[in-house]
Amino acid sequence: MVARVAGVFEEKLTEAIANSKILVVGAGGIGCEILKNLVLTGFPNIEIIDLDTIDVSNLNRQFLFHKEHVGKSKAQVAKDSALSFNPNVNIVAHHDSVISNDYGVSYFKQFQIVMNALDNRVARNHVNRMCLAANVPLIETGTAGYAGQVELIKKGLTQCYECQPKAPQKTFPGCTIRNTPSEPIHCIVWAKHLFNQLFGEEDPDQDVSPDTADPEAAGEAGASALSSEGNTAGNVERKSTRAWAAETNYEPEKLFSKLFGDDIRYLLSMENLWKKRRPPTPLVWDNLPGKDNPPAQHSGLPDQRVWSVHECAQVFAASCDALQKDLKSRPDGDHLVWDKDEKSAMDFVTACANIRAHIFNIPLKSRFEIKSMAGNIIPAIATANAIVAGLAVLRAQAVLRETYRPAPVFTCALRSTIADSCLSRRRVTLTPPNPKCYVCAPKPEVGLACNLKQLTLKDLTSAFKEGLNMQAPDATVEGKGLVVLSSEPGETDHNNDKTLEEIGLNDGCALLVDDFLQNYEVRVRLQQEDEEKSWRLVTDTDAPMPAPKEEEKPANGSNGSDPKPGPSTSRTREDSDSDMEIIEEDDDEPAVKPPKRRRTEMSDEIVNLC
Amino acid sequence: MVENNDIELSEAEAEQYDRQIRLWGLESQKRLRASKVLIIGIAGLGAEIAKNVILSGVKSVCLLDNEKLKEIDLYSQFLAPPDKIGENRAEASLTRARALNPMVEITAETKSVDDLPDSYFTEYDIVCATGLKQEQLERINNACRDSNKKFLCGDVWGMYGYMFADLVDHEYSEEIVQHKAVKRSSDETEKNARETVSITVKRRAIYVPLQNALSVDWMKPEYRSRLRRGDPSYFVMKILLRFKDEYNRNPDPAKRKEDTKILLRMRDELVKELSLPAGFIVDELLLDVFGTVSGAAAVIGGVIGQEVVKAVSQREPPHNNMFFFNPVKCVGFVELYGQ
Repeated sequence: MVARVAGVFEEKLTEAIANSKILVVGAGGIGCEILKNLVLTGFPNIEIIDLDTIDVSNLNRQFLFHKEHVGKSKAQVAKDSALSFNPNVNIVAHHDSVISNDYGVSYFKQFQIVMNALDNRVARNHVNRMCLAANVPLIETGTAGYAGQVELIKKGLTQCYECQPKAPQKTFPGCTIRNTPSEPIHCIVWAKHLFNQLFGEEDPDQDVSPDTADPEAAGEAGASALSSEGNTAGNVERKSTRAWAAETNYEPEKLFSKLFGDDIRYLLSMENLWKKRRPPTPLVWDNLPGKDNPPAQHSGLPDQRVWSVHECAQVFAASCDALQKDLKSRPDGDHLVWDKDEKSAMDFVTACANIRAHIFNIPLKSRFEIKSMAGNIIPAIATANAIVAGLAVLRAQAVLRETYRPAPVFTCALRSTIADSCLSRRRVTLTPPNPKCYVCAPKPEVGLACNLKQLTLKDLTSAFKEGLNMQAPDATVEGKGLVVLSSEPGETDHNNDKTLEEIGLNDGCALLVDDFLQNYEVRVRLQQEDEEKSWRLVTDTDAPMPAPKEEEKPANGSNGSDPKPGPSTSRTREDSDSDMEIIEEDDDEPAVKPPKRRRTEMSDEIVNLC
Repeated sequence: MVENNDIELSEAEAEQYDRQIRLWGLESQKRLRASKVLIIGIAGLGAEIAKNVILSGVKSVCLLDNEKLKEIDLYSQFLAPPDKIGENRAEASLTRARALNPMVEITAETKSVDDLPDSYFTEYDIVCATGLKQEQLERINNACRDSNKKFLCGDVWGMYGYMFADLVDHEYSEEIVQHKAVKRSSDETEKNARETVSITVKRRAIYVPLQNALSVDWMKPEYRSRLRRGDPSYFVMKILLRFKDEYNRNPDPAKRKEDTKILLRMRDELVKELSLPAGFIVDELLLDVFGTVSGAAAVIGGVIGQEVVKAVSQREPPHNNMFFFNPVKCVGFVELYGQ
């Protein structure tokens, strides 16, 4: 192909391409485009990994897939389609997660370049570490709406993906969700929690009943509430929502009366909450707003019409019924997983979020809007993906050229970004590694602030997994060699419920934590903080770390369940090719919007164009 | 401009276009669905534009090309299968183009633009021309302009590329995000009591025809001052358009050495003619202008595709009026010429 047609590229580049082997991680919007460009350019050896299958909503941009491919493996179909462009190249497709022991450091070492076309931070962090460990250049890409970015990551020469702390994903305090919602998103998060309580994996962090330990309600709440409620609602607090629902056979009317009647009356009894707020209004099943009015004339997509409360209740009943049947049809102990593309699951969340919003005088939203918010959908279009993928492959060519010609290419254009299809370049393009990065520094180090008297070994494991993005951490005490945590099943499990203090760890003590798969070791200093309810990463920079924020307020004993330290629960994977930071355009809003003024960069000056 | 279609989207359309409707709104999608697009020149760049425009969900796309598919096309033209070498490029691309989005009507036209009357081009809402000579581009641009139809053109040579837009007198709406204080209760902090609201504003952009953009007087102080801080990409386009005019072809990979010499000579002539600073247009810029490199076609085709969407949906500020991709710096930018 091109690489073999004399004269398109200079000879040495033709040769370098002909001898290259490239790994593409992700076969979504950007991955399809990258694969097309690589194959057409004549890159002869390509491997592509994606664990996903094809959905209808992918078809507006993932052009290697057509309607008949819905439900099939993205990696496999992408490979087949791309081969029709150029049957002479060798493509290996893996329908698999890149985070697997099958793709260790030695696997990564066989490639000249790795190209990331991912949609989530966990996998991006992982591939970043694998490439650092294997010392393979990584081209990292992302788009969000009209904007996008391409960045080259090379060990020792540039920043790694984790050198700059990323803004933590947004979470909400538990008491806002459970007691005092004030925005539609609070009701949506609550509705998703409710879904899990009723049909999904039960998680104590996702309690949906009134939170009597709300510091604002302090003291009087429990007493007055309980005395006035009696046992009518079947012990609002003591029974799990799931058990109660099962007992009532998921009868929609009963569920409705508890969730939107009794629980709301209970909240009203926590009078302190409503001193400065407008109190909520409990609802009665038989008398809901909109019952006698036909739906208003609507133009636009059916999903864009906002339902009346009465309609929401109907949808609530129907979806409860469908979900309950689905749950029952499964083997014992199995549960449903919320999915925005699952009709009943999405209907349920829309209805519940809106009913709760009405109760708290919050504006109602359409199913269309709630889907965006509940599913974290980041809009995606073909053009932005095409531009980013085009840049990424041109960048790959530049990386290969660098192997035989140390050119200024490397130092002058390490990052390209697009905003509204307008590519531009940062003034200072080479960003050297952050010497304090806890991933790519020669001796990585990070602090972990926690209450050693409360944090258990199990919590510590999740801190390493979620905070440090490790897959299977091992930890030993520095200087002593004592194994605190082993990734071998069973070896340290018996200590899981012991606190760090109980296993002999104290303030200032350092752990050597390593992940075999990622070939990554970091020194973790423990810092005693009495106030810390969960755990928090502490780096030497002042910038915020991507540590989880606590979601649930402490509720010592009052709810019958202890506070569970650990990261919040209202996060979901984004549905996009995104999760990137927009590096360029010093606009204040690194959002999907294009910059208001177009800028262009000419050598070292920024010019306004219009 | 495009008639706004009052017919609601079908369920299938809503499903397939979901992710983009969430970006540009239902109204834009309806406008897209009502628009007819002509794409001239179905080599690598034309294929990229066609893919992007077809995926966006326009009413119809006509692929116009009178040339035969050549082996070199396959290195960037993914719509035509390798076994159709020797067939008409537009016709060879039909099957795959239709498979991209069965909801779009796709046709091929095999005549040369020179054999088609002005009235042919003005039947479309927007024309995207690639691979033509300057004279042909200017003729079609002027025909479109006289009928108040939008015109875009562009080309890719090797790793280099450009785009030009003439949207005549273009009205569009732009969403502006504002922060509004919405305190619902006294305990809310400043931060969470703020809400972002987006308001839509109407704007207007006036364009100039291609001939104005290509005949800029570099002696004028406002252009002279651009040279000091400037990127030479505009002149690379000038040189390549001249090459095409003079030799009736693009630089040929098989004649890399000879053609490079010609290009450098033409560069020297242009530098003299416009009294440009010596060393302004570095040799390196003229070394990678052979064939069509897929990555560059993807970048320029992506930009043109996005401008088609902006133009027909009359939403978001379109580029006014040129976009260049400089492969030496791996950077692209928008500049206004000829106004």
